[in-house]
Amino acid sequence: MTGALVFRNLARHPIRTGLAVLGIAIAAALLLDMVMLSGGMERSFSRMLLSRGYQIRLSPQGTLPFDSEAVIPGATPLVATLRTDPDIASVGPVVATPIHVRTAGSTLTVVAYGIDPAGQGLYELERGADLAPGDTTGLLISEPAARAAGWAIGDTVTVFGRLDPQSAEPGAERRLTVRGVVRFLYDARDQRSVAAAFSVVQQFGSLAARDPASMVMVKVRDDALVDAVAARIAAAHPTVEVNSIAMLVAQFRGRLAYFQQLSLILATISLVVAVLLVGTILSITVGERLGEFAVLRGIGIRRSRIVRMVVLEGAALTALGVVVGLGLGLVAARYLDDILTAFPGLPAAISFFVADRDSVIRAGAAVLAAGTLAAAYPAWLAARAPIALTLRAEAE
Amino acid sequence: MLLVLLALLSADTLPPVPGVAIERRLAAHFSVAVGDTIAVTPEPGGAVRRFVVEAVYEPRPDPATALRNEYHIRFHLPDLADLLGHPDRIDRMGVAAVAGIAADSVAARLDQRAFGYRAFASDVIAAESSRTFAVVSRFHRAIGVIAIVASAVFLLCIMLLKVEERRLDAAVMRLIGISRATVVRAFVLEATLIAAVGSVLGVGLAALAGVLTNWGYQRRFDTTLVFSYLTPDIMALGVGLSLLLGIGAGLLAARRLVAANPLALWRRAA
Repeated sequence: MTGALVFRNLARHPIRTGLAVLGIAIAAALLLDMVMLSGGMERSFSRMLLSRGYQIRLSPQGTLPFDSEAVIPGATPLVATLRTDPDIASVGPVVATPIHVRTAGSTLTVVAYGIDPAGQGLYELERGADLAPGDTTGLLISEPAARAAGWAIGDTVTVFGRLDPQSAEPGAERRLTVRGVVRFLYDARDQRSVAAAFSVVQQFGSLAARDPASMVMVKVRDDALVDAVAARIAAAHPTVEVNSIAMLVAQFRGRLAYFQQLSLILATISLVVAVLLVGTILSITVGERLGEFAVLRGIGIRRSRIVRMVVLEGAALTALGVVVGLGLGLVAARYLDDILTAFPGLPAAISFFVADRDSVIRAGAAVLAAGTLAAAYPAWLAARAPIALTLRAEAE
Repeated sequence: MLLVLLALLSADTLPPVPGVAIERRLAAHFSVAVGDTIAVTPEPGGAVRRFVVEAVYEPRPDPATALRNEYHIRFHLPDLADLLGHPDRIDRMGVAAVAGIAADSVAARLDQRAFGYRAFASDVIAAESSRTFAVVSRFHRAIGVIAIVASAVFLLCIMLLKVEERRLDAAVMRLIGISRATVVRAFVLEATLIAAVGSVLGVGLAALAGVLTNWGYQRRFDTTLVFSYLTPDIMALGVGLSLLLGIGAGLLAARRLVAANPLALWRRAA
């Protein structure tokens, strides 16, 4: 009965109700987007880092992986030592350096990753064959590199390191055969990258004599042991920066604190808008219907029921807005994500707005709670109106 | 005697310690002042070199690096090359073209002259390095559009309610012979006043938010970078939009009200 009355009251003013629902919908959409933004980056970053199961990264001290051109010297003995640890399942050293290839009429620069086929967490094979352990003549290429250089599986190509500025003679030159096309997990969109054996790519860098690695990835057998193994490696190798995924996510969070703060501010504003909208509309509606409430009180309807009716009206108005708003928010999130993922150098696997059930439920519940709460004041106004005075004022 | 000899030797025969300039934040973090000697190593556990701090400088505020919280030291080029073990190697160099010569053509000529480097005109580098901020700007614009749509709906809703609240006034005015146009003008004037007062309050609120944002971020990142600007253009846009939306909403609601029969309005209001 109360529910029917509530919906009849809302239907009495279709334009007013429609506009209020639209306003609440926009507030709900913005809130959902901000909830997705605040947690989405971290989840997507963490998912990307864990995509091959490696939970620890070693990088040159004072840096994050691939954050600078610094290298870890003496990579081979370091990797050998790590592989003797019984808690470590796999160790994947990576060295990265720009290399050059000659294409029709010009020189193309690509990023070369040196990997150990026995343990790599850098790419996923899309087609062709992977590098076999000990393969020092094979090359894996990304789709953008294949497109730019016109390479196909089975091609033999000549790659070289830095050119001498005067003589144009390459520092190091190798002929490699394309074995397969891979998707590099941490590459930016359209980044041209290739991978070859660790020792091969080391020769192209300027620090080849120091046995360099840009990063070492470590897979621990048991997730529960990650922190202990990270601490053990850090203690044994004080000149290397050791980070678990949780630590890297914390660093990432620090760098993108701006977006978290922005999402917090905008989420708060959207809740305030929802409260103001529901509160204002219901206050005016209740003001118009004071006589009606006085009559209801006069025929014996209890105050609590009147309060329930007005609060329910606020909740119904908000619920309608939330239903529309959540759909609107999901659509807007895709558009906003397209904008933000255009950041130069951002790995293609990163998303800023990650839609999941939790975010939708949290945003919907927050707006619903705010809207219902906003109805409390008008409900109090409706319930406390003195019956005789209100009826006399209405009659006059 | 030996100590004195050593002191004389060091004063006369040892090479002078090279100088560096360090940025203010780094100097403050390690309590280093001009004249102090610092030990620098290119990598953990590497060979240590000593340098004298010759200057403490305040880097130019740069949004590209401010949030990274990195410290910087400036070396004389040969000293850094020597420290890194890369004599006669540089990462980049700046070239000033003669006045009147286009930077693009100089860059193209340099690219043809030798190998192993790429030459770029400054505006190309500026465009490339500002891509990050272009993305942030696009994001802000998108959020701005959502905020404008939300406030338009909110304003329309409030104006509709405000005008509907005045049904009795509208009915009385119409019944005593005041024309529809005058009633609409009266309501629009009221809406304009409300929108104007709201705009002024909004500008004040935005200015306060800007001050708080700059204060908070400048303290957090220890920088003089200005994060929030409230320019006359932005103020004009905000006030203009508010007035436009307010007047539009008021006009819409007022026209809807005067279109109704005054007697029906009277009955509904009573």
